[in-house]
Amino acid sequence: MALQLISANHAAGMAATMAGNANRSARGFCAGLYPITPSTECMEYLCVQELLKGQVVRVESEHSAMGVCIGAAASGARTFTTTSSNGLAYMAENVYVAALMRLPVVMVAANRALGPPWNLWADHGDSLMLRDSGWVQLYCADNQEVFDSVLMAYRIAEDRRVLLPVMVCQEGFILSHSMVETEVSSQEEVDLYLPPLDLPHRLRDDARTMGGVDTPAVTEAHRAQHHEAMSQVFEVYREAQEEFEAKFGRRPPDLLVPYKMDDAEVVLISMGTISSTVDHIVDEARSRGVKVGSIRVRGYRPFPELQLKEMLGGIGRVGVLDRDISLGFGGVLWGEVRGVAAPGAISQGYILGVGGGDVRPKHIEAVLKDLLERDSAEAPIVMETNL
Amino acid sequence: MSKSDIKGSFKVPLELRVHGRGGQGGVTLAKLIATLYSGLGLHVQTFGDYGSERAGAPIRAYTRVDETTVTNRNKVYNPDHLIVLDPGLLGPSVLDGTSSGALLLINTTEEGAEVAKRYPMLRVGVIDATSIARKHGIGTASVVIINTTLAGAYARLLGIPMEVVSEAYEKVGLAGDLAAAKEAYDSVEIFEAIESGEEASGGVEEYVLGSFPAILPLTGHVSERFAPVCTGDWRTQTPHYLFHEAPCNGECPAGNDVVGFIQTLKEDGVDAAAQRLLATQPFPSVCGRVCPAPCIGSCSRRLYDGAVNIRGLERWIGDNAEFPPIEKAENPEPKRIAIVGGGPAGLAAAFEAARAGHSATIYEANEAPGGVLRYGIPEYRLPGEVLDREVGRLRELGVKVVSSTVVNSEKLIELSAGNDAVIIAAGLGRLADLGFGELSGVEQGIAFLRAVKSGEKINLSEEDVVVVGGGNTAVDCARTALRLGAARVTLLYRRGREEMPAIDDEVADAIEEGVRLELYSQPVQAEGAGAISALEVAEVELYDYDETGRRRPVVTDRRRKIPCTRLFMALGQTPEAGLMPDVWQVEGERMLSGGAPLNVWLAGDLLTGAGTVAHAIGDGRRVAALALESNVAREEKPEVTPDGVRADFFESRPPMAEKHLQVADRLSSFAEVSEGITGPEEAERCFSCGTCTACDTCLYSCPEGVISRDGESYNIDGEFCKGCGICVAECPRMAMNMSGLESGRQ
Repeated sequence: MALQLISANHAAGMAATMAGNANRSARGFCAGLYPITPSTECMEYLCVQELLKGQVVRVESEHSAMGVCIGAAASGARTFTTTSSNGLAYMAENVYVAALMRLPVVMVAANRALGPPWNLWADHGDSLMLRDSGWVQLYCADNQEVFDSVLMAYRIAEDRRVLLPVMVCQEGFILSHSMVETEVSSQEEVDLYLPPLDLPHRLRDDARTMGGVDTPAVTEAHRAQHHEAMSQVFEVYREAQEEFEAKFGRRPPDLLVPYKMDDAEVVLISMGTISSTVDHIVDEARSRGVKVGSIRVRGYRPFPELQLKEMLGGIGRVGVLDRDISLGFGGVLWGEVRGVAAPGAISQGYILGVGGGDVRPKHIEAVLKDLLERDSAEAPIVMETNL
Repeated sequence: MSKSDIKGSFKVPLELRVHGRGGQGGVTLAKLIATLYSGLGLHVQTFGDYGSERAGAPIRAYTRVDETTVTNRNKVYNPDHLIVLDPGLLGPSVLDGTSSGALLLINTTEEGAEVAKRYPMLRVGVIDATSIARKHGIGTASVVIINTTLAGAYARLLGIPMEVVSEAYEKVGLAGDLAAAKEAYDSVEIFEAIESGEEASGGVEEYVLGSFPAILPLTGHVSERFAPVCTGDWRTQTPHYLFHEAPCNGECPAGNDVVGFIQTLKEDGVDAAAQRLLATQPFPSVCGRVCPAPCIGSCSRRLYDGAVNIRGLERWIGDNAEFPPIEKAENPEPKRIAIVGGGPAGLAAAFEAARAGHSATIYEANEAPGGVLRYGIPEYRLPGEVLDREVGRLRELGVKVVSSTVVNSEKLIELSAGNDAVIIAAGLGRLADLGFGELSGVEQGIAFLRAVKSGEKINLSEEDVVVVGGGNTAVDCARTALRLGAARVTLLYRRGREEMPAIDDEVADAIEEGVRLELYSQPVQAEGAGAISALEVAEVELYDYDETGRRRPVVTDRRRKIPCTRLFMALGQTPEAGLMPDVWQVEGERMLSGGAPLNVWLAGDLLTGAGTVAHAIGDGRRVAALALESNVAREEKPEVTPDGVRADFFESRPPMAEKHLQVADRLSSFAEVSEGITGPEEAERCFSCGTCTACDTCLYSCPEGVISRDGESYNIDGEFCKGCGICVAECPRMAMNMSGLESGRQ
């Protein structure tokens, strides 16, 4: 274990490399890669690593990058890719393929707004676009979480009860390019945490078709199985967390991260780095006597609905902060949360930090003030944070 | 000093903001500083403010330091420490959010005290990091990277010992820059805050939910418009139009503007092209036939799809243009100039003198001027009427020719006395010889050619003709002999085909017509009683290179005998002795008498021995200009380099072949063999190396759209040009270049 001052992009690249090397006694490692800001540095990091078994394949597009992962995963390799924004959109067809073929690919998505007009900065809209693709989605709030989540992602993806791809999401620049001291595990530790991958349905010497044609009845069954595998993630995640703590001596956060929720009457719910700014305001408001708490949603798919329902209990004021917008509806997270909030609660959606707007304490203050003062929920409020 | 002592010298949490320009290393500076703090056991966070910015654009970078994990993910709005890499950036937005007592470190060449005076509420550090980094060779000459130097100065401001700095540099692999950091550490000037007060600028304002600035909707744009982002002072280099000397122009011994006349032919037609040619020489039809054309040998198109047939184009212009009388300048002080010898050098000297308004008289030993053109080059290569037509141009210009007048040393003295200047362009009269004595049938090739051109009836049928030599005279003799019915013509040359000085096409024509080429062969003995009957020939081997760049021939004792009834020697010429008065000496191209310069100059082969018509023309003009104290040299330009021309820009198109007579028709007469090219289309193939043709490539390739047409040329908007150099790289013909800018930012 060593503390290094690195960006989250490098942290992700390091974790993927070690996870790949941990599979050296099995079918090795393969990364299909194509560069796009802000995930490029993660790719660059991987491209200069000496892999013990396997290789990095640089291709001509994101679609092919995932194609490489699909092929390699189908042959039993541990696989990785990283992309962002329009790259993810271009990759989308194969993103579905990986999931529907039940291949444990791990991807780090550096969240960035989709264009045009072009915008390079943080926005959860790109990975949320693939919310329904059948991938497990984890959203990180700091660099350490990115490193740890990549390792955990393989544990979860490759578990026989799951066998699904996992997308680890980190906000572009805010995480991808920020350098913070990060605890970097050793290869020996990672070897102990990630056993060699033995994919049950991998291609061996028996020639057969993967992903052929399904009749309606078979598709119905496959979807039900896929959905069921998703529901297994909660249990598998807990086990992966326990095991992680035992091996590495630190515990990655839960799928839902509550803060000062015990006696909360008002709650602010968010994903990613905005949550840390929210917590500053929770502290500040509590010092004024406001009984406010916060929840960070780290596991977005599968959606931890039951746990969230339990945490929200009878809370009457729920503010949901989305760094994304489902155009014609409102915040994507808000859409899911308001179905879980107590009947009659005010569930107000706030859309802020879209396209990389710098969400500062004053913005959260304004959100809390609005939430406390209102009599009923209204249409989601879109905010401009660079003012 | 312990780590905790050091930590006592500043308060945490602290926030730092770096202002720099893309490419200066500001983000790395913030990281380096974070490493310094991390080395003290503090928690840090560091990041850049990334955007789609190019080199030179203002950027910001940030570092946060705390005793515990940093969870704030915002940018820094109220910096405790501010580092400015470029004083050009200093302004209200840079100081935004700073409070009284904050630290400001500036990289500038300005006097420290002057800088500090402007920020009385701040603690100010001043350092000329650019000079230090440049001195230590960090970065490149145009982009000096100053971050590692500045971090040294910053450490000093904080009271961090140099050992901690060294440790941090080692850790991030920048130990090589430590010397610069140390120099900055030692030399930074520090000025304490002298006033205190409220926030220097900025402040905390309340945020109003749902307020938006007036931003034009995407559907509201009625035209595509670029945001006006001036880049002028960010760039480190700038493009401009700079014409270069094309290789063909550089190679032309006559000084022709080759690119100029070809482009004029293309753009403005044949008459305009003729005018362009007349600016340098009056004999396009002659040169277009007999020049060895080094221009073609150097043509940039040569290695692409074949050189442009420049000689063919010159001939086409000479033969097809309507030549107006050559313009003669009004000269208020006309001089009298006498020219000895009416060969190409003499004619060119007369042309130059007469055109400049002087009175020029040529003294010619033969009946008519022209020299080798008239008496040496066979009719089938240069018809007499072509020569007469072009020489006629000089007569129209007022050049007087005194024919059948041999100039000797007495006459020279007389000419020198009676003229303002005398130019001797008498050529080379003494002929080399094989030393075979007085056998009949052994002749000088020049004399043979002259006899044929003078109309003498010579019949060579049944004769075994051998010509010795590798130059144009040798080839001319061989081909002339064939036309006079020789049974067999053999050309002996002691080196290889590559080394033959004759025009390559002429050699090819000779072989095609039936001349047998025997290379690496040297005649050593002639046989025969009274008349030659056979020749003993030795095989030659080539050894090391001599001073002329050719391999030295060595005669071996491997011999053979070949039949030979006529032997023509074409072995080169040297100056005739006895022309100059004994008391004269030569210095360069000028004659002296008793050390004092005379008004007599040498020109042409007599001076240079170059042996081609084009060299003679160029030299005649040059010496005339010297004698008349004028100048014929073109403006000097940098040369086009092979990698400066982008052949792939041009469509491949093979050279236009010249039309030749059938071999059978050639041998039955002295009719001109080549009819030249059939039209001016060959001009389209010229790349116009080094000279803009207004092809718009620069305009199309500019990613900023800052190049615009301006009549026949272009304008580059320096305010918006970012200095990327794409226009220069894309220019197919090297008519532009980039030049570095001294940093205008200080």
